[in-house]
Amino acid sequence: MIDVQRLVKWYGPTKAVDDLTFHIPKGQIVGFLGPNGAGKSTTLRILTGYLPPTSGRATIDGHDVLTDSLNVRRKIGYMPESTPLYGEMRVEEYLHYRGKLYDMPRTLRNQRIDMLCDRCGLTKVRRRTIGHLSKGNRQRVGLAAALLHDPPVLILDEPTAGMDPNQIGHVRQFISELSGQHTIILSTHILPEVEKTADRVIIIAGGRIVAQGTPDELRKSVAGQGRVVLEVKAEPAAVNNVLRQVPGVNEVEARAVNGWCHAVVTPAAGKDVREPLATTLHRNNWIVRELRHETASLEQFFVQITDHQRVSAAPAAEREPEPTPV
Amino acid sequence: MQKTFTIAKRELTCLFYSPIGYLVLGLFGLGVSWLFFRSFGPGKAAWLRDTFDWLIWLLILLTPAISMRSISEELSSGTIEPLMTAPVSDLQVIMGKWLGAMGFFILLLTPVLILALVLEWTSNPDWGPIFTGLLGLVLVGGLYMAIGVFASSITENQIIAFIVTVFIICVLTLATYFLGRESSFPTGVRQALNYININARYENFSKGLIEIGSVVYLVSGITLFLFLAVKLLESKRWR
Repeated sequence: MIDVQRLVKWYGPTKAVDDLTFHIPKGQIVGFLGPNGAGKSTTLRILTGYLPPTSGRATIDGHDVLTDSLNVRRKIGYMPESTPLYGEMRVEEYLHYRGKLYDMPRTLRNQRIDMLCDRCGLTKVRRRTIGHLSKGNRQRVGLAAALLHDPPVLILDEPTAGMDPNQIGHVRQFISELSGQHTIILSTHILPEVEKTADRVIIIAGGRIVAQGTPDELRKSVAGQGRVVLEVKAEPAAVNNVLRQVPGVNEVEARAVNGWCHAVVTPAAGKDVREPLATTLHRNNWIVRELRHETASLEQFFVQITDHQRVSAAPAAEREPEPTPV
Repeated sequence: MQKTFTIAKRELTCLFYSPIGYLVLGLFGLGVSWLFFRSFGPGKAAWLRDTFDWLIWLLILLTPAISMRSISEELSSGTIEPLMTAPVSDLQVIMGKWLGAMGFFILLLTPVLILALVLEWTSNPDWGPIFTGLLGLVLVGGLYMAIGVFASSITENQIIAFIVTVFIICVLTLATYFLGRESSFPTGVRQALNYININARYENFSKGLIEIGSVVYLVSGITLFLFLAVKLLESKRWR
């Protein structure tokens, strides 16, 4: 549905998007993740035809964003970053205005607006002036406007920014329900949002893809499989010695904390060492007050990978001489 | 075409959401009435010519004040992004903006029509020059609005848009007027400058003449500046 090939975008002397290639099949929700200034918004703006790419090609449903812009724009619903809206218009009025720009007949407009106001929680503010709405409600108006003409492709740039946790929950659920019939690409720098809604995550940093896959795959590729944290009443040195003998244990870090020994056990890849650990602890007659398995979150992965990118970015820039933008 | 009207309608209604729209309407109504009643009374000519001749000067500051926000506001608030990613062409956007501003301008002219009715009620005016005068005002206003929309698509700063518009209009009116009288210039140049002078062109309209040359001049001016505005907006897609 969305096909991006070798996309590059220069802003004067800075390279915002650096050789991006990805493909999103129909009906998939893709989370576009990256630190601020990673090139997320730029990429999305190119996909909507608002900005031209410096080089490379992007197509939506077979239509080129550059040469067949009007057809692309009919297919997409776009919610720009920070949702610019006409502050002086009323919510309902604005949605009707947007509907007319998409050639929607009045009855269809009424029907869709009723439905979307209901789904986006705008029923109470329908007749209010947009300028007087809270940030969260403005975001919801933007979302309703993007969905108005029932586009097959949805491009949402930080859709939940400025919402309270409750509203974020609603929007997240709403987006999940849209999957299947709609292809959705949503950018964010908040991880849990993507972990729960997206079928696939693309992490970009410095304009490049640094990782992609399903949230599960990414979680698995985080260093190791997680670790076991335990606290026992014993000498750290003894704990260290004993636990290292347990089969499947790769590394043990033990230290004394308030008379207890706090140990972090890293298992060998793919091993679950909780059971042998428990048996060992029992055999040594140590009092256990904690034994817990810690799985790596996407958050850790994200920090790890984008940090790594930042470190490796400098020599990379030196390696390839930057071409002068035209 | 439908979308052009949608944009125009939004443009026009939004002028009335803020007090500015009503303020401009009220002040203009007062101003026009004052100009009118200065030359209204027993023994004076039952015409609007004096009013028209003053109005044409007033337009130099009035129309840029209406047109300055058209594109600039969209650029500064970022609403240009959802607009330009909707399936509307750049021509539709510019035409919509211009038509919306023109709609407001024509509303502004309603007091003139009321004053004409006052004339009709008190004496026996010649309606011919009144209509040609109004037609001329609409054409000249249309050209100024087109210049305004063009200037507005240059910058997101409304003040700069206003100043640029006034500047271009002054070149077409004041500068051509004074340079056209400069005797050191060759006759051909002076003739050309007088030809460009919009106020001189308008004199015929207020007299009651519809000169094809003037109509063509003003209409092609409108087309030129709207075309430039479309190209400017289009160029934003290429940066």
